[in-house]
Amino acid sequence: MKKLLGVALGVLTAIGGFVDMGDLVANAATGARFDMNLAWVVIVGVIGIIVYAEMSGRVAALCGRPVFDLVRERLGARFGMANMLASFFINFLTLTAEIAGVALAISLASSVNYFFIIPIVAILVWLVCWRMPFQLMERVFGLLGLCLLVFAVAVWKIGPDWNALFSATTHPHVPGSENIFTYAYFGIALFGAAMTPYEVFFFSSGAVEDGWTEKDLGENKINVLIGFPLGAALSLAIMACAHLVLAPRHIVVEQLSQVALPVASAVGRLGLAIVLIGIFAATFGAALETSLSAGYVVAQYFGWPWGKRGSPREATRFHLVVLMSIAAAALFGLTGVDPVKVTEYSIVLSAAALPLTYFPILVIANDVRYMGPNHTNGRFLNAIASVYLVILVVVAIATIPLMIITKGGS
Amino acid sequence: MGNRVRWVVATLALSACTHHQVGPARTFDDYVRKSRTTAEDALSSVETVRLLATTAADGNAFGPYTNVSISEQEDTLADVVGDFGSIQPPDQHADQLRAQLDALLSSATDHLAAVRIAARRGTLAGLDEVAAPLAADSDALNAFLEGLT
Repeated sequence: MKKLLGVALGVLTAIGGFVDMGDLVANAATGARFDMNLAWVVIVGVIGIIVYAEMSGRVAALCGRPVFDLVRERLGARFGMANMLASFFINFLTLTAEIAGVALAISLASSVNYFFIIPIVAILVWLVCWRMPFQLMERVFGLLGLCLLVFAVAVWKIGPDWNALFSATTHPHVPGSENIFTYAYFGIALFGAAMTPYEVFFFSSGAVEDGWTEKDLGENKINVLIGFPLGAALSLAIMACAHLVLAPRHIVVEQLSQVALPVASAVGRLGLAIVLIGIFAATFGAALETSLSAGYVVAQYFGWPWGKRGSPREATRFHLVVLMSIAAAALFGLTGVDPVKVTEYSIVLSAAALPLTYFPILVIANDVRYMGPNHTNGRFLNAIASVYLVILVVVAIATIPLMIITKGGS
Repeated sequence: MGNRVRWVVATLALSACTHHQVGPARTFDDYVRKSRTTAEDALSSVETVRLLATTAADGNAFGPYTNVSISEQEDTLADVVGDFGSIQPPDQHADQLRAQLDALLSSATDHLAAVRIAARRGTLAGLDEVAAPLAADSDALNAFLEGLT
């Protein structure tokens, strides 16, 4: 019974923790601008993250070391350094977006200017990273993130023509008001949001923090196979809300407040309060994950002691990197950068760097020296993972040219 | 060289996150394209505030959310107006287009400010009435956009 409860909690945490600032903005923006014509990208993205997150969890459970720890050892110092620098930079942008997202959610509930809230959020994020036990931290914010299910309630309350909605989702096309380049650019943004690299760093490092072993492989599979698809369904509900409420009014999503507007309109004050709590939890949880990921990436590359298992004194440099990253992200947020733009660029640049994150996972998951003879990838999994690797490379090559051609999707 | 390229890409990406003045319009077609983008952005702000006002008047949104959201749209519209004002019209046709869109933007800005003032005074119940003139702004912007196609 206790085991079952643990698995259920893990799945719920995976659902609640799936959505972050990038998913909120990307799904609402595409729903408002492209209706449901890019919903298929969310499906493609979630299959990709399922394949690679399962692999990275398996690597961590069998080796007792996260993937990033093995990259330098398996693929050399130069590749490891390039990987670390790119991952750290994108993770930093994501952290900035998440901290700004938390501040915006509080601002929408309190009317206090979000610039005043950013430093307080940064201190809170650091305190939680410093003091709260890993599993408690993961579960509190993951479960609170379930408040975002109110988007699904909103879709139901709006009462759409379900056949038309299903048809719009399953018959994608480039809308007449758009061109193939903006369609592809927003598709890449959605793909980058679904496969954000920090999710893998955090998932695999978290597995080690949680002390996973071979016995936990089943739970790993259940978490990703049930939790992630349900999280993706949540992403589609956000997109559907924007498609149903914002798109007919020609509203372009440029503020986080607009993401919550369909819920307020359809569900009312209670719905609005729930969605703001959900946005707070999702962005705060992601701010914690990206803060820790900054420490994981750097400490694991240099071989420093890392993680929250031991006391901060035992992993001084890891905690210092976490602290400095939070402070730098908060300062960047305070310069007046547009948090939604930072989010958009963080997910698009994530897409450009995806092969650097996912290629090493595929290599290590096929290495008998790390995985043992019975736990390397099977042929079917390798076939899917290889197809995804090709997609990731194509996406990475296309990202920057598309960003220039579409002037950042405008 | 590799490092230099990486730095250039990173700097471009980061600078893209900040607010920019739009570039000059060298031809009338270019000016039309920028006018369309301006009108679309303004329409988005106007429609967002209309929906916010209706939602708040129906008792579906609380004060802080409504205030902050309307202020954000007012700031967005101000940026849009400022950006459009900074574009040099290339010829007399563009001057006419500019005068036409300026009038629409000015009207929307005034009406949006009235909604913001009412919302900050806490009169959420009658906010849809205060926002009623925005319907005409929305129609006018839609007509302007149709006229451009």
